[in-house]
Amino acid sequence: MSDVKHLLERQAQWQPTRQALTWPEKVRMAEPERESILQLRRSGQVEAASARPTRTQSHFGRPK
Amino acid sequence: MVKAVAHLLNALQSSGLVQGYALFGPMAQMRYTEAVATLDADVLVAVAQPDRLDALSDIYAFCAARGYLPEGEAVRVGAWPVQFVPAFSTLTQEAMELAETADFEGVPLRVVGAAHLAVIALSVGRAKDFARVLALLESGSVTRPEIEQLAARHGLAAAWERFEGRFPLE
Repeated sequence: MSDVKHLLERQAQWQPTRQALTWPEKVRMAEPERESILQLRRSGQVEAASARPTRTQSHFGRPK
Repeated sequence: MVKAVAHLLNALQSSGLVQGYALFGPMAQMRYTEAVATLDADVLVAVAQPDRLDALSDIYAFCAARGYLPEGEAVRVGAWPVQFVPAFSTLTQEAMELAETADFEGVPLRVVGAAHLAVIALSVGRAKDFARVLALLESGSVTRPEIEQLAARHGLAAAWERFEGRFPLE
């Protein structure tokens, strides 16, 4: 429990330093985050699409 | 790459196609808070006839002539899709007019101030918009009385009251 408290305290100390970065630095930090979100979305779409039965499958039952 | 966006927006204003512009949304928020994840850059623009369906077509043509092509509802500038939003209310018009000119790596870039960012977010009212208001408050760039006053001036007193009810001052 004290480890968690210590971790949270360290995080609380660290967060203001992130806010103190310059605006261009923060935008640069956001760029890779944006790429990660896009990749996650793409992979989610691929998984969702493969999990969904195709129109032919749902219409005619299981493919042979 | 946002530097390229700044150059493009300044050129757009110099051309006279827009009477004004200002960055808003998460990209603008980052000026005041920690970095946040966002997929695009949102820009308020003052166009002559904002109600016209093709109000943004001249802007798109201007961007395309400079090699920045449309992508969905945005224009791609380097890594960033830039979404142009005509100033659609007295709140967004005021936000644009009172925007600050920031320095983005040596290039001037108009950006909506913290109080107007908060009240625009309040007016939209999704969970992520409330998170934006909270982040701006936490950063100290705007105060609750400032938001309350601005919200009241733009007919959003009830929205602010609801927000205060959900997220009271600790």
